[in-house]
Order: sequence, then C-alpha cells, then structure tokens
Amino acid sequence: MNILVCIKQVPDMETKFKINSAGDWIDEADTAFRMNEYDEFAVEEAVALKEKLGAGASLTVLSIGPERVKEAIKKALAMGADKGAHIQDDECFRKDTAQVASMIADYAKDKGFELIFTGLQSQDRGSAQVGPILAVKLGFNLVTTVVGFQYDAGAITARRELEGGLRAIVKTAAPAVITCQLGLNKPRYPTLPNIMKAKKKELAVIPAAQVAAGAAMVNTARAFHPERKGAGEMLQGDIAQVADRFVKIIREKTGLI
Amino acid sequence: MKALLVAESREGKTLPSIYELAEFARMAGAQTVMLQVGGRENPPKLDGKLYLADTKTAGELNPPLHAAMIADVAMKEGVDMVLLSHSPYGWDLAPLVAQALGAAQISEAVDYKDGQFITPALNGKLRLSLKPATAKVVVTLQAGAVAPQGEPTGTPTVEELSPPASGKPYEFLGFEAPKDGGVDLGRAKVVVSAGRGVGKVENVELVKKLAEALGGELGATRPLVDAGWVEAGRQVGASGQTVAPKLYLACGVSGAAQHIAGMKKSEFVAAINTDPEAPITEVAHVTAVADLKQLIPAILERLKK
Amino acid sequence: MYLLALAAVGFMAYGLIQRVRALLHAGKSTADIKLQIGRALWQTLAQLKAISHGGAAGWGHAIFFWCFLILTAGTTLVFIQADFTDLLFGYKFLKGGFYKIFSLALDLAGLAAILAMGGLFIRRYIFRPVGLASEPADALIHILLFLALATGFVVEGLRMAATELDMNMALAQWSPVGLVVAKVFHGMDMASLTMAHKITWWIHFLICLAFFIAIPLTKLRHIFYIPVNYALAPAGASGKLSTMALDDETAEKFGASQPADLLFKDLFDTAACVKCKRCQDQCPAHATGKPLSPMKLTQDIGAALASGVGSSLVEAVGEDAVWACVTCRACEAVCPAGVEHVRKIIEMRRGMALMEGRFPGDEVVRALDAIEVNGNPLGAALAARGDWAEGLALTGEGMEVLYFTGCYACYDRRNIKVARSFMTILGKLGVKAGTLGKKEKCCGEPARKMGNEYLYQTVAAENIESIHATGAKKIVTTCPHCFHTLANEYPDLGLDPQISVEHYTTFLAARMASFKPNGPIAPVTYHDSCYMGRYNGVFSQPRELLAAIGAPVTEMAKSRETSFCCGGGGGRILAEEKLGTRINAAKAAMAGDTGAAMVVSNCPFCLTMLEDGVKTGGLEEKMKPVDLAELLADRM
Repeated sequence: MNILVCIKQVPDMETKFKINSAGDWIDEADTAFRMNEYDEFAVEEAVALKEKLGAGASLTVLSIGPERVKEAIKKALAMGADKGAHIQDDECFRKDTAQVASMIADYAKDKGFELIFTGLQSQDRGSAQVGPILAVKLGFNLVTTVVGFQYDAGAITARRELEGGLRAIVKTAAPAVITCQLGLNKPRYPTLPNIMKAKKKELAVIPAAQVAAGAAMVNTARAFHPERKGAGEMLQGDIAQVADRFVKIIREKTGLI
Repeated sequence: MKALLVAESREGKTLPSIYELAEFARMAGAQTVMLQVGGRENPPKLDGKLYLADTKTAGELNPPLHAAMIADVAMKEGVDMVLLSHSPYGWDLAPLVAQALGAAQISEAVDYKDGQFITPALNGKLRLSLKPATAKVVVTLQAGAVAPQGEPTGTPTVEELSPPASGKPYEFLGFEAPKDGGVDLGRAKVVVSAGRGVGKVENVELVKKLAEALGGELGATRPLVDAGWVEAGRQVGASGQTVAPKLYLACGVSGAAQHIAGMKKSEFVAAINTDPEAPITEVAHVTAVADLKQLIPAILERLKK
Repeated sequence: MYLLALAAVGFMAYGLIQRVRALLHAGKSTADIKLQIGRALWQTLAQLKAISHGGAAGWGHAIFFWCFLILTAGTTLVFIQADFTDLLFGYKFLKGGFYKIFSLALDLAGLAAILAMGGLFIRRYIFRPVGLASEPADALIHILLFLALATGFVVEGLRMAATELDMNMALAQWSPVGLVVAKVFHGMDMASLTMAHKITWWIHFLICLAFFIAIPLTKLRHIFYIPVNYALAPAGASGKLSTMALDDETAEKFGASQPADLLFKDLFDTAACVKCKRCQDQCPAHATGKPLSPMKLTQDIGAALASGVGSSLVEAVGEDAVWACVTCRACEAVCPAGVEHVRKIIEMRRGMALMEGRFPGDEVVRALDAIEVNGNPLGAALAARGDWAEGLALTGEGMEVLYFTGCYACYDRRNIKVARSFMTILGKLGVKAGTLGKKEKCCGEPARKMGNEYLYQTVAAENIESIHATGAKKIVTTCPHCFHTLANEYPDLGLDPQISVEHYTTFLAARMASFKPNGPIAPVTYHDSCYMGRYNGVFSQPRELLAAIGAPVTEMAKSRETSFCCGGGGGRILAEEKLGTRINAAKAAMAGDTGAAMVVSNCPFCLTMLEDGVKTGGLEEKMKPVDLAELLADRM
C-alpha cells in the first residue's frame, strides 16, 4: 500500500522577521528553517501506520521548495519514510494554496496512494487549505484536524478536534487526505542508524515546471508588520519599579485589587 | 456585494460566531443571506433569509454534504462572497466550497480594505494583504476579529433546505466531551495564563499562586496542556475555552493566533514577557518586559500588602 | 607443602587470569591499550590514590599495604634461604647485623599491620559508616588477614622460645613483639615447643594459602587488578570523550547498550572496584537523592556482565541513574582503584540517544531541536546571536583573539553581563578581540554529554569551519564547557592544532600584573567549576587573581579536587531536575555556610545554577553569585 506524507519547511518562529525587497514576504537572510510542526505529527502518524502495515506498505515524503527543503525531507526519511520527492521550486512562496495543491495532485495522481497525510496547516501561512484542496483535486475523501487516527483495511475512524476541547468521531474510507492537528502523537527523535540509512534512500528531484500549478487564485499584495496599537504601555527596567507600576495600573484599570 | 453567511450549530444550539460574520459583512457593505445546518430551536437572531437544514438529514458534521449545500445556495443566490468562521467546522468546509465555486479562498481574515483581505501570518508576527483573483471568494473569519454591535435582535425568514443525495462517504459517529471538564474559565472574573515562557513545569506553580492571589483561575496555552503541565480543561484558545474576564494576565505567553482567539474579548489584558515584540503585546493594554520568575514574586509581595 | 603451595598459587593465578580473559573477550577491541607500567608501579608502591581523599581509612590501608609488603618480602627471603640457598648450597644470608634489622623490621611491620587491621575493623563493624555495605566476604578477609598476622607472631614466639629466649637475649631484643609472645611459652619443654611450632607453622601456612585462594574469589583480587588498572588508565587529557567515527557507513551500533559494547577498561573497572564507597560519598546526584551511586553503577555493570555479554546495561543500572549524572568526575578524582565511571555513563547515554532517540525528558528534546535549528539550546533566533555585543568594539579581520562567547553569554541576560565584562577587560588590556557573531553555534557539549554525538559533531564541524575562516590563532572562552570541548575535543574533528584555546582564567592569570584592588571588597568564597578544576587542573590561577584584587577567600568545606558540582554539567543544564532535592540548592547552602557575601565562579552554568540555588534557598539577602570576570573588570 502506498502512503504519501506532504511536508513544508517553514521559518523558525523565534526569528525577528524582516520584509523582503518585493514587499510580499519575508527576507530569508539569517533565518533558521525547520519542518512545519503540524507536519511532524503527520510524518509520525504515517510512519507508525506504515510500520503497523508491515511489508508491502511504502511511505513517500514530498516537499516543495528550494534546495534547503531537502533537510526537512531527510528528517522525514530518518523518521522512517521510505523515499523522498523534492519538487524543486525556488519561488514556491509566491504560489497560492490552490497552486501548491495542484502541483501535489499532479505528482500524486498516477502513484496509487491510498492515504495522504499532511499537517492541518503551516506555521508560516496558516491557511489550512492545501490538504482539503488536494483532496478535491484527487477526488479523495477528507478528514481534517485529526487528533486520533485508526486505519483498518480501508476503513478510517478518526477523532476530530473541535472548539473548546470537544471532539467528534467520524468515519470515512480510503483513499483519503488526513490533516493532522498538534498532539496527535509523539513524533519520534530520529535514531542515528536511521539517519544514516536515510542518506541512502531515494530522493527524487522534480523540477517545478514538470508539475502543473495552474493559475493563482489569491495574490499576496503585500506583507507588513502590524501597526503597534500604541494603546499598550510597555514597562521595562528595575523589577521593583516595574512591579509597582504593573500593580498600580491593574488596580486603577480594573479595580479588582 | 452579496454574501452568504454560514452559521454553525453544535448539538442543537446556534453558535454566536454568526453575529461576527454579520458584522463583517456589514462592514464590507454586503447584503446577506444565511445558511445553517441544525439549530432550528434557536436560529440566529438576524433579519434576512436563512436556508435551514436539519442535522437529522444532513448530519451534525459532514463536510462533503454541507459544502455541496453551501455551494448550491451560493450559486442560486448569486453571492460574491461566502463567509464562514475560522473554526474547525469552517476551515473544514471553506476550501471545499471554494473549489466547488471555482473561487479563491482566504483563511482567517481579520479585516477587509479596498477589496483586499488582511490575514495574519507567522504566528501573528506579520500581516498579509491578500487579493482574490476570482470573481467569487470564500472567506473564513478569525474568531473575535470583529465585535458585533449591540444585542442581536431580528428574526430570520426560514427557507427549508434539503441535502442532496449523499455523495462522499463521511459518517459522524458522535461527540466526545473533553476529558477533564471541571473548570469553567468562561465564568471567571480573572484569568491568569501560563505559556511556554514559564520554562519549567515548576514555574507553573508561580503563575497559579498569582491567579489565586488575584482571586482568579489558572489558564494555559496549548503547548503546556500538550506537555501535561496543566490539565486540558484550563486551555484557553481556539481549541480550548474562550474567556472574556475583567482581567486577563498572560505570563510567558507569546500570543499565537489560536490563543489570542480565545481571550481577545477580555476587558483588560496585561502581559509579562521577556520579548517586547511578542504578538501578545499587541492585544495587551500593559506589558511588563521582565522575567516572570522575578516579576511574579515581586507582584505577589505587593499584593499581600 | 610445596605441592599445596603450588596448587594454591596456581588456583589464584588461574582465577585472576580467567576473569581477565573473559573481560578481554567480552568488550570491544583492545587494540588501543597502552600499558603505563612505570606509573602503575609508582602509584601502587606509594599508595597515592589510597591516601589522597581517603581519610584515616586511606592511611590505614596504606600502612597495612606497606607492612604486608615488608612481611611478604621477609617471608620470601626466609623461603629462599630455607628451601633453596641453604638447602642446596648451604648458604645462609640471614645473619649478623642484616638479620637483626630484618627481624626488627618484620616485627614492627607485623605489629603495625595488626593495629591498622584493628582500626579498619572498628571502622567497618563498630563505627559503621553510612553507605558502607558489608558482606560475609568482608568478614572473611578481616579474619584471614588478622589470623595470618596473629599466627605469624605465634610461630615466631614459639621459635624464639626454643632458640633465643634465655639463650640469646641480645638477638631476641631485635624481635620485640616476638619476644613478648615467646615469654608466654616460657617454661615449655623443647619437645612441646617443637610440636607446637610445627602445628602453628602449618596453620599459618594453610591460612596463607587460604588467603591466596580467596584472592580471585573476593575483592582481594584488587591486589593484582588495581595496579593493572593504574597501568590501563589513559595518559592524555582527563575526561576526554572518544570521538565516534560517524562517517563509517558500515557501523550499525552506536554507544553501549550491552556489556559487549563497553571497552575492556570499562569492564575491568568492575573487577577492580573494591566497593569502598568513596565515589558515592562525593557524588552530588547521590547526595541529593537521585538513584545514582557511581559504586553501585560499577557493580551493576559487573553484574550485567556476569549474566551475559548481551544483557541490557540500562536495565541493570536503571535509566534514571544514567541520566542523573552531571559528569563532574568527583567520583573518578577520589577512586583508589582508578575506575572511570563517567565514560560508561556517556556510552550508555549514547546507546539510548543514538539507537533509540531516548532522552530524559521532552524539554531535552526541545533543547536539542533548538540547537539543530537555531544553533543554541535556548530557542533564541540565530540571527540575534551577536546582539549581546551591541555598542562594543569588535575586531573583524586581524583579530588577535577570537572570543568564543558561548550560548549562555550570548543570549542569557545574566550571562551577557559576564561577556560584556570580559570584553571590557580585553579592551583595557588592549587586546584586539573578535567573535564569530551570527556564525557561532553551540559548541555542542551539552548535546554530546546527553549522548547525541551526531548533533555534537554536526555543530562542531560548522564551528571549526567558521573558526578557521577567521584565521585566528588564539581562542579564549568564558565558558569551561566550551573551553574543554574546543581545546581537548575539537582537534579530533579537525580543529587546527596550531590554534591555542584558553579559558579566561588562565589567559588573565598570565596577565596578573594588570589587576589590582579597587577599594575594600567583601569576603568571597570561590567555587571550583568541574570543567576548569577536575577536568583541566585549573585551581590556583583564579585564586591568584582574587588575591591580586585583594579579595579575601574563605574556602568551602569541599573545594578544589573535591568541589561539589553546581548541578549543570553532563548536559543537565538542558534538563529539569525531577528527582530528589536540588543540587544547586545544596551547593548554594554550602557556599552560604562560609559566611561569605559573594560566591565567585567562572562558568555560565555555575552562575545560572547558583543564582537559582540562592533564590530557592532564600539566601538572596546573604550572598550574591558573581562571575570572576565581573569582579576583575573594574579592578585593573
């Protein structure tokens, strides 16, 4: 059985982001990158399922982006994916979700994947759209925001997370796209033997031109830092003075203490 | 402009998110029609047409079915915009509706200016101004992004909606209540939350002491709950509880969008954070840039007097 | 008699060699063993390790050892004469003046040995030191040795009663103890004396054979094994970890999961250990209620080995014990047997980390992840690494000294002050110093000590490339962990050996004249960091610097080689302390006990731990943790 897990490499959220010269995204200089946190849970779930299914199950990990995303793909391989696919696209940050989903659909359409795992959303754009659009393009079933997953010979039972900690149990069937919420599982730390094995695993490189992206449906006009509201007061300096002022303000504004 | 507002119901009750959608549509200057599955007993208190389907026939949750119904109504009514809440229900449906309509989809909008939608990016550190390239657009609205004005009064004109014959297999088997229910943070006057910035699990105790000293309840962000440092029932945020206390004190909370969504409506927000540029500082009325391990004991001392 | 003797000695030799053979086959390749025989002989004969940090018991052992050596030498001379030179050639050498001195020496040695034995017996069975477990074998050893000595004197007394008493008092006086015993038998007839002598001689002989037989069967095997262990101990930098060859694509096993994965020396250590508990008494983890005892760990590995070379080490030792170690090496500093506890622990950690991705907590995994993504365990952005130096004049090209700042000094508020103080000092010294700025990454030491050798080698390789690119020939650090790693371990990974690496304490001590007092200074106490102290022998330089600035130092009860770790080593600065009580609180209390107003250290981990420990212990009003560089900065 063929399984696919789609991952994205995102900038580390600790970075103090600067806007790029085109004004439509961030400047990547001096930015650390990592695998999207939601995708880590997707990879773990896919690997765990593959291990459970035993021989005959094969897991491919796919990512789109410039050369650096190979690092994220290698990490997924080290976690247990069997082979990697890198759609080489240096401008992918300018593509919208529909285009990204189209590219993945074009890659995946003839490979007989039964299940496609991906994160609920990416930490950098947070649109939560690629998984669902991919399902539509491939004609797959879809379950999103998964915090519990069970697979049994094509039948899928999943626990979806709703608002306020409420969960819903839903059932559908493969082929399906599953988008994973944080806390679905505990992503494994790659072992060294697996890191070394990953170096030898197949990592196909596909030029972006070879997969159809289609026309953009959403354009990013500009990226900008939110205006600071100014209404908020900042207290810094000597702890005693800060504490005095902090307590005073709360006392004045809320009357609670 | 004409917009279709998708209201949500949960176990028979209409969720208040519809009023935010209505306010957004009003701000955008759009005429509206509404659609909802379930909630017949207490439909949205808004004037206008409401396409109403029953959960008995359409199911509590069935994205393929609900999306098909929404797309049908959207085309029938000739709307330019379909508005949903950026909730687990909404973000499940919006891409499906958008694809059915051949429309662009914008997620988690917080504002609308000159035909462009403003959305957050990078954990709220940046904003993006997005322009749809299609005539129609499907938008999910960030929870709490707009505040409805006044108490809702109105009576919808109901038009019955039947779901199409079942298409894709999707079975809803039931709800599961949160494991550690217990605390109702929604009723607390004061909520003091702990975030990743507390560093070690032992420091959660400090935040708890502060909550007690202020006569309030302890809240927490998702990472702390996932790590088991605080029970799940105390999570504040999109997938936790939504609170609107008189005082919300965020200790070591960076201010991820999902968390802010759960406390935005607090009357007075105070934050303690070592990073003066953390997203929480945008919603905080006062921020103390300090190490909470040092500041909280100092505050506790002053509260004793 | 000869046959019995041969049989006993043969049994002893066989038992000892068998065990060594088994250990040689059990562990990893022994290709790199170099025996330091001269050093071993010297250490054994001078009883250096038995005495240092051994207290009264150490002296007891040393005295007993020397006396037993004298007695053995004496008995051997008698044997050579009786069964060889006299028997075959009629030649006697035990005569005249030589024999008088000989007799006196043996008598005094025998008496001292009995007294030493008595003292050790009282210590073990009457004083009963806490943590010293006694087994039946210990009692057996005490009894055997005491009886050997006692019967020896009885034999001598009987002989003297027959040959010297009343007959040759001039000679008898040279055996004072024997004379006292002889007087007991005064009046017995010759026939009875001869019979009694013969019987007692045989009893003595058999007891000595029993002693030989007991050697391979009890901890008495240390008589041979400890000197061998002294010969096996590495000659180079202490505490240097082996650099794993990670580019070997055929390697499938990393670290130690079973006894078979340990070095011969590691396994031999378990045989050389005499369970004296000195290591346990020094261990800061043990002292604060963690399930780690270096002695028990050594014994547990031995037990695991006994149950099979393929048995699980972590199961035998206990996972919590393995992670609790702070790699302070206080255990190794006081061990009289030359056991190296820390390497075994690191190898077990490597086994868990590299083979299973197992670490002691999620917070450790997050910190390692942060090192991988942002080059520091604190999760701060890599682009901000140079921000601490805002406003300071740094030299780029042509720097004389590369200041390898270290993660804490770059990002932690308290430690940034130390980095800036050090830059002030360098400025006043007129030294052109630069840093790697944003390119600097974590030296990798905490990751390495947590067993993640792969992550360590990855960041180390990047650092080495950045360092070489600066062209700097001298590196100075303010962190002992960075220092130890760059100086002693980076060369294994290709750091140019021409580049000299120093910690600021030795660098500034070489410029001692630049420092002078600046007004009165409150009494301080000095904390010897493990990585400058025990690991690199730097004890006196910081104290000399303190003297230069006129700071009166009150030493803690445990200082220098027995300094009590702050609790931040062994990668544990990344981890939460979930078991027992806080090591840093215990340390802060020790510092507080000196009555000093400041506790001075030279390490960012120590400073962080002491700040924390002072707060937890409620000592904020009484004592201030401060780094030596901060004191020196305005006393030039």
